[in-house]
Amino acid sequence: MWRAIKAMIMRDLTRMVRQRGRLVSAMVRPLIWLFVIGSGFDALLSAAGTPNYRQSLVPGLLSMVMLFGALLASLSMVYDKESGVMRMLIVAPFPRYVIILARTASATMVGLTQALMLILILLPLGYLADTHNVGLLVGALVCTALLCASVGTLIAVFSKALDDFAVVMNFFIFPMYFLSGALYPIGQLPGVLKALVLINPFSYGVDLMKHALAARASPPFGAEFALYQDLLVLVGFSALALSIACYRFSQAPVFETLARMLSHRRGGF
Amino acid sequence: MPNALAIESRSLSKSYGCLLAVDALDLSVAQGSFFGLLGRNGSGKTTTLHMLSTLVRPSAGQAWVGGYEVVRQPVAVRRAIGVVFQESALDRTLTVVENLRFAGALAGLSRRIARQRGEELLTLFDLTEKCHAPVSTLSGGLRRAVDIARGVLHRPRILILDEPTIGLDVINRRQIWRFLQRLRTEEGSTLMLSTHYMDEVEGCDEVVFMKGGKTIGQGRPAALVSGVASFILEIETETPALSTQELTPRFGEPLAEEGRLQFRILDRDFALSHLPAHLKHITRGIHLRRADLNDVYLWLNRPGA
Repeated sequence: MWRAIKAMIMRDLTRMVRQRGRLVSAMVRPLIWLFVIGSGFDALLSAAGTPNYRQSLVPGLLSMVMLFGALLASLSMVYDKESGVMRMLIVAPFPRYVIILARTASATMVGLTQALMLILILLPLGYLADTHNVGLLVGALVCTALLCASVGTLIAVFSKALDDFAVVMNFFIFPMYFLSGALYPIGQLPGVLKALVLINPFSYGVDLMKHALAARASPPFGAEFALYQDLLVLVGFSALALSIACYRFSQAPVFETLARMLSHRRGGF
Repeated sequence: MPNALAIESRSLSKSYGCLLAVDALDLSVAQGSFFGLLGRNGSGKTTTLHMLSTLVRPSAGQAWVGGYEVVRQPVAVRRAIGVVFQESALDRTLTVVENLRFAGALAGLSRRIARQRGEELLTLFDLTEKCHAPVSTLSGGLRRAVDIARGVLHRPRILILDEPTIGLDVINRRQIWRFLQRLRTEEGSTLMLSTHYMDEVEGCDEVVFMKGGKTIGQGRPAALVSGVASFILEIETETPALSTQELTPRFGEPLAEEGRLQFRILDRDFALSHLPAHLKHITRGIHLRRADLNDVYLWLNRPGA
């Protein structure tokens, strides 16, 4: 089984490397946030007496790259019906949940790769100068990428119309991103918004990144939850999401729908 | 499983809501045999194959594949079988060899064994020259051959093929059949396939005709053919009612389609000279030919059958 898991992950990573254009374009979004929107608000907030807004975006942007990268990767890979690979997987001699776990692991790695690429861009520009605990940074990256991949997997196993990326973008990715503390501190948010941020697991990934990257940031830009809280939510939610996804994917009706979708040229029975 | 059958099912059924896709199917497939599942689209062939390959859970009944029960031991069943779908199960972006290596790893084969088996199969299928070509560059027939190689790489005892030649032209279909025959001869695998091309199952040890999820005929192709007719008498006429009236008492109700009537003749010694002489005055053409599996299919599927 380990051989199969390794093969699935290696194949997904090979595919990612072969789609270099997509990897490079994934860097454009965070850099626009940082240098265009970040610069604009930095000037505004500095004039109002709150400097370093642009610097404060770095943990959120690294998290964002993983949110888009890992979530979309797990979403597209779970129902990778066009490539024919899913047909190979559904008749392979291992329990079905293994497909879910391997695909989530691949998506986590895709998210991590994109975050590492952004780190390589930001490092020489001095945006990571405040990072002293590399171990914590690695832990934060892995936990956040895993969370994003698990959320993508969970959406995938519950969704029928998976081709509709616009739906996923508008109902999951954008709300998760904007309601996470990635763009602004959450301390002063009004009640309802704050409650939404608190129930959004991605907020804890962003906060963990702040622990790793902005330990000495001046208020209000530092971490706002305790380290253990972040870790507990990230690991707990990922485990829960994956358990539900594995359970659901192994259920006969869900799997039968997938099998029918994959094996019929013209529909029917 | 009670005996050494490769595949067995008892009252195997599957319903989707109120639609009964497979209705109490009993199958017995001997090891090493070539077994054909025939029927129109929607007759339940694919659902049957899906239940046997553990992709679909039966609503009732039981099935054993390779000695394992499909609901309780699905992983063991999948280890014993190879499955070839109607659509390709290959990664088009990878080369032939990369696909086989991936399939081998999924089946738990070591890299060395997967390479060795892959080379053997590519030689068997005359595909050695194409081994480093991306799958997307291969013709439909060759791609299907690679797909079959993928399905048998782990040496499954049973190969399940769901309309393996659908969408292929005659040349490619023949090529695929040569590959399958070689597999049977050289690997001794049990082959179970669904198709609606009659000529493809003439070499089967046994065939099952399905309609509305039920078995409507089962047996060796030759026995099934002789059970339906020895000869088929085809009559072209502008007055079908007249010909029908003339011949029905002797040969039974014909199959009729637009000025063409088909009567089945059970008598092995029948000759055209046995027909009444005046028949040629009310017909445009009279042909007598040996019955084949197509006729079995048509007669079993005739309206009201």
